[in-house]
Amino acid sequence: MYESTWMFSLKRIFTLPFVLLGVSILTFVFIRFVPVEPAEVILRLARVAPTAEAIQALREELGTDKPLFIQYLLWVKGVLQLDFGTSFVSKLPVAHELFAKLPATIELAVAAFILILGLSIPLGILGALYRHSIVDKVIRLLTILSVSIPTFWLGFLLLYLFSLKLGIFPTNGKGTLAHVVLPALALALPTIGLFVQFIRSTIIEELQQHYVQYAQLRGLKHSVILIRHVLRNAAIPLTSLLGMTLGNLLGGAVIVEQVFSWPGLGRYLIESITNRDYPVVQCYVLIIAVIYVIANLCTDLLHRLLDPHLMMKDRRD
Amino acid sequence: MRLTKYLLPFMLVLTFSLLAGCTSTDQEKGEKTTQQTDEKMITIGWPLDVGPLNPHTYLPNQMTAQAMVYESLVEYNDDGTVTPKLAESWDISEDKTSYTFHLRKDVKYSDGTTFNADNVIRNFDAVLANSDMHSWMGMVNHIKEVVKEDDFTIRLQLDEPYYPVLNELAFVRPFRFLGDNGFPEGDMTQDSIKEPIGTGPWVLKEYKKDEYALFSRNENYWGEKPLVDQIKVKIIPDSESISLAFENEELDLIYGRGIISLDNYTYLKDSSKYKTATSEPLSTKALLFNTQSGPLAELKVRQAIQYAINKEQMVNSITHGTEKVANTLFWDAIPYANIDLAPILYNPEKAQQLLDEAGWTLPKGEKIRSKNGQPLTLDLIYIATDAIQKPMAELMQGELAKIGVQLNLEGADVMVGLQKLMDDQVDINFWRTNGPPTDPHSFANESATPNASGVYEAKLGLPNAKEIDTKIHQLLVGTDEEERVQLYTDILTMFHDEALFYPISYETNNVIYQPYMKDFAPRASEYDIPYAQMEKEKEK
Repeated sequence: MYESTWMFSLKRIFTLPFVLLGVSILTFVFIRFVPVEPAEVILRLARVAPTAEAIQALREELGTDKPLFIQYLLWVKGVLQLDFGTSFVSKLPVAHELFAKLPATIELAVAAFILILGLSIPLGILGALYRHSIVDKVIRLLTILSVSIPTFWLGFLLLYLFSLKLGIFPTNGKGTLAHVVLPALALALPTIGLFVQFIRSTIIEELQQHYVQYAQLRGLKHSVILIRHVLRNAAIPLTSLLGMTLGNLLGGAVIVEQVFSWPGLGRYLIESITNRDYPVVQCYVLIIAVIYVIANLCTDLLHRLLDPHLMMKDRRD
Repeated sequence: MRLTKYLLPFMLVLTFSLLAGCTSTDQEKGEKTTQQTDEKMITIGWPLDVGPLNPHTYLPNQMTAQAMVYESLVEYNDDGTVTPKLAESWDISEDKTSYTFHLRKDVKYSDGTTFNADNVIRNFDAVLANSDMHSWMGMVNHIKEVVKEDDFTIRLQLDEPYYPVLNELAFVRPFRFLGDNGFPEGDMTQDSIKEPIGTGPWVLKEYKKDEYALFSRNENYWGEKPLVDQIKVKIIPDSESISLAFENEELDLIYGRGIISLDNYTYLKDSSKYKTATSEPLSTKALLFNTQSGPLAELKVRQAIQYAINKEQMVNSITHGTEKVANTLFWDAIPYANIDLAPILYNPEKAQQLLDEAGWTLPKGEKIRSKNGQPLTLDLIYIATDAIQKPMAELMQGELAKIGVQLNLEGADVMVGLQKLMDDQVDINFWRTNGPPTDPHSFANESATPNASGVYEAKLGLPNAKEIDTKIHQLLVGTDEEERVQLYTDILTMFHDEALFYPISYETNNVIYQPYMKDFAPRASEYDIPYAQMEKEKEK
């Protein structure tokens, strides 16, 4: 059993470089579709005349004058030596700044993750158990709302209510637990809505399974059936969703960080796109891709742990 | 496997206990944070990080922060005059090519070191070592050498006369002075500095990138000491969030041009809970017409557009009166710009008549004018994120439709619009002047050379483009003041008569501050925020 899990993980880790290769090539090409090149942006920001000569000189300095393929190879060569390049704007090593900001974004994503688990599981169970009752209807209304409200607006609504009117949380900044609550909530709410619906329908589905009827016939207590059997089976599809969520949380953080002045990766990314700071954008995408792949791997492992069928199947193969 | 059996219940208990734990402690902390107002500290919100505080470089340094720490030899005032700062006096040679500055002898850097001629020259050398980067500043191309005359006297030698030297020296960068201990090895300040050591009234005390910068009073400051001990610049990238933080009393003031939307400004102002102030105009918002090709190569079409738009109504309704209607390219207080020019006032009949005269006629049953089968359509690019440009563009679209001109709008980021104008791919762009202390000469400079502002390219289709260029060169190197006044009058009149620009409004610094703060006068400057005059009343 352990052997196959190890092999499984190894295989998945082995595919990581290929995923990163694909992602990096796409990023490399796509960011160059953005109109106006970095050399020109930098000159204009410095109010220097972007004459043909000045642009050419700066291209040489930045290395953007070389053919795209060569640029890519040089970049990959750097990355393999853990050199992610130098920011066009701040002239500092990209990795240094990105990794300095990564903890803040992860902190936000983890807080949101905890909120998602803590709120969506009980609400989903409530909705399923009291199906079609008033409780269920209220929960459903709230989840539909939370899914449909755009994140930035939701952020401002939360700020207006909890900071301005109730005075519970500060409007911006980072440091204490109080600072993290509102941004994490804004980040988590749309996913919570999705999860509550998902958990509710999965549990309803499970409750209609034969094993539940069998357990009832065996005279097991309702709570025991629910916790030991139904919830555990319902958790299996949930885990795959959770993996994807972590990636979405990191991506969604871009807007939330802007609204709540959270000093994370997302804000840095927005600035860097405006400034055509290619190395920063490339490194950002790479980091997010690695996190995404690792999160997915963890989910799959958890999935296997919860559902022995999958492992049996591997062994048979 | 036994482990997983308890996983879910365990997780549930864990998350709920965490949540419960969070909310109780959060409430206490939240209250503390919102009520934390220090009497001796002013907190301001700013959308971008203050940057590395390098006096000799541009972005990501914020001008408003550089101006707190570093000072210039001379100071530019809102009325257009230049007065002593780190230089207590100066002499200009007869041929106007040599400027001798007598430095103040009582100036110390924030680290206690003395400000003297050697240090000034070291700063000049570091800036000039990188003159390409600063060539937008005309003076940089004319400096021959900077010489030490004695310990507190330096001489700036130019290759030919260049009258705006003092204005350019007053600008916030790059000619400001870094203490000797702030220099990096090899004096390559264009890359980085060791420490932000300046002579200014404030010293950087604490800095968390993208979160805040805390400045405390420079105890060695030679001039008048600021009234409060500390200034905290909180970095809040979103303009809505800045107004919310202000309403929540986490900020003492909001100061600047375009820091919050004018809607929010009006909302806060109308609540009459706060004090507000507006500075004198600092720059002009205008449309720049591309005359290189297309219908706008014709003077009558450019004039017709200007007659067709009810500017007064547009500016007042969109800016809620925080910006003044502009009928000329420069505000009167800008040097050399106080000249009599006949304004183009709203007159749609006249607009129609001009278009008819130019041969752009309205075929029966059509809504758009045409000439030789060519419809009268124009493209305008606005900055997509700008809260004022978009509604203005839409309003103008409506006005122009009434006279049979189709205006196509495209939202883009700053860079795209400029590039399209230079490449002759768009007809109209939003444009703004640089503002003091470099106007109007930097405007002249940029208009006569291919440059980042796009004016040079836009004016290529004017019949007198060459003549304008020649006059601009004359005025920059001329030594006779009367002649210069005449040349500026000529140039600005030519631009006005050719209707190359459509001046819209004069932009101001809008200030809103908490009622417990004492009144102060905002300045008409992009970078000088009068922190030294700010103070809180004793009881809040």
